[in-house]
Amino acid sequence: MTLPLAHALASRQDLPIPAWLFAWAASIVLIVSFFALSAAWRKPQFEDEHRQPLSERFSAALLSLPAEILCGAIGVFLLGVAVYAGLRGTEAPDRNFALTFIFVTCWLGFPFFSAFLGDLFRPFNPWRAVGRAAGGAFARIAGQRPAHLAYPERLGRWPAAVGLLAFVWIEVVYGRTSIVSVDIEPHAVAVAALVYSAYTLAMMAVFGAEKWCDRGEAFSVYFGMFGRLGIFGARDGRLYRRRPFSAATGWAVVPGSAAVVIASIAATSFDGAQDGAFKEAIEKTFEWFTDRGVGLTTGLRLTDTIFMLLTFAAAVGVYMLGVRGMRTVPGAPSFKQLRTGFAHTLIPIALAYLVAHYFSFFVFQEQAQFGYLLSDPLGTGHTDLFGTVSNEVDYKLLSANAIWYVQVAALVIGHVIGLMLAHDRALVYWPDYRKATASQYWMLAVMVAFTCFGLYLLSVANG
Amino acid sequence: MLPVAHVGHYLWVFYVIPILIVVGAIVRNAIAQRRLSRDETGESSTARGGRFTKRD
Repeated sequence: MTLPLAHALASRQDLPIPAWLFAWAASIVLIVSFFALSAAWRKPQFEDEHRQPLSERFSAALLSLPAEILCGAIGVFLLGVAVYAGLRGTEAPDRNFALTFIFVTCWLGFPFFSAFLGDLFRPFNPWRAVGRAAGGAFARIAGQRPAHLAYPERLGRWPAAVGLLAFVWIEVVYGRTSIVSVDIEPHAVAVAALVYSAYTLAMMAVFGAEKWCDRGEAFSVYFGMFGRLGIFGARDGRLYRRRPFSAATGWAVVPGSAAVVIASIAATSFDGAQDGAFKEAIEKTFEWFTDRGVGLTTGLRLTDTIFMLLTFAAAVGVYMLGVRGMRTVPGAPSFKQLRTGFAHTLIPIALAYLVAHYFSFFVFQEQAQFGYLLSDPLGTGHTDLFGTVSNEVDYKLLSANAIWYVQVAALVIGHVIGLMLAHDRALVYWPDYRKATASQYWMLAVMVAFTCFGLYLLSVANG
Repeated sequence: MLPVAHVGHYLWVFYVIPILIVVGAIVRNAIAQRRLSRDETGESSTARGGRFTKRD
């Protein structure tokens, strides 16, 4: 499985108009939405979640200890299967359960579904389950709760941001063995999963399972971020329904949250651009390194790492320009407050980028996941657990045009929601809606820039 | 001969145009706002000066 290449389209689309015209149309949609928001939306709507508790029985059943243990056990079991498949299974990436399960089913599935339903990863988080079980066992044996160090608040979610970039680095940089293909080895992924598990459990022992999941555990923070867009949440042992996107408004108050969401956008952008928009520049830089005696693999990884960091820096730069622009509007709060206060508006954009870049890959690869990979996780060809080992991926399930329209729709909808959240937050900082609108000209520019960049990446990758 | 074969390399320009239009409009608006507020400040100081002169 050539991971990043596989999510590119199988064939060029046959579009009625040039691809770049979609960028113009998307920009017009954003501009019209912007003026509609400034005309009709004059009071903040998302600052309150408007919680409506679900039935007590339903909450009690889903949040009960047996349900938590069951979900945790499922998470631990599946992580175990993935690690075992990686260590003992075939080295053919497309036939090994580990890669598709980690990089597609979990990495893409949790954000896609959490964005609608709320944080789905939390109950299935294997490290949280182990950490909590260990804490419970300790309390029972020692007769007291385990003592933890106070988490340094200045660190905020920075460990998660670094972990997120490290994960993507393993997928798209470390796994890249030549300039044209990416063949990450299942064994390397399994070892990385074991190392990450040891690190996570150690951090949980030091700071506590819940604290580390909220701040430092990359996957909890990342999936939880998308879960904030969803309509279901849990608090004080009760499930509740809330206004969509409203939980996102309080997410970014922790330091480093902006870095997490920008890292997400940058990682997806780099993955999309690696074999498209950045291809020539990467090749030239790679040649520059190899001409100076740097080894092929090292040169390639060095080049990709530089471009990945540059993409991150560029995404940070675009966002900071927007924040700097807002600062010029009279009555603006401090730069730091604006930088934190608008970071959550990037969450729908991160999701839009994820859907746009990986939607087709997810649809195709999940057929493999629930087909031959489930029946033969090790890929040995000798097992058929569920009788689905002969099921193949139907690449005709989605046409190239259908994929393109989904990509455009995802980008436009994601950015309109981002614009809406930004406008809503601006009304908190500038109660005078005219000033709020003036401040949002800059966020409009940010949204248009991200939309056009996203569509450009897709058009090059698809072409 | 026109380098038509390489025209694909410059397609990114079409994606930059909407961004430039929006940024241009924002900058133009910001300059106009600044000029307007400067004019208003100038007018009010002239008006104050006028009253002062009249009283003198």
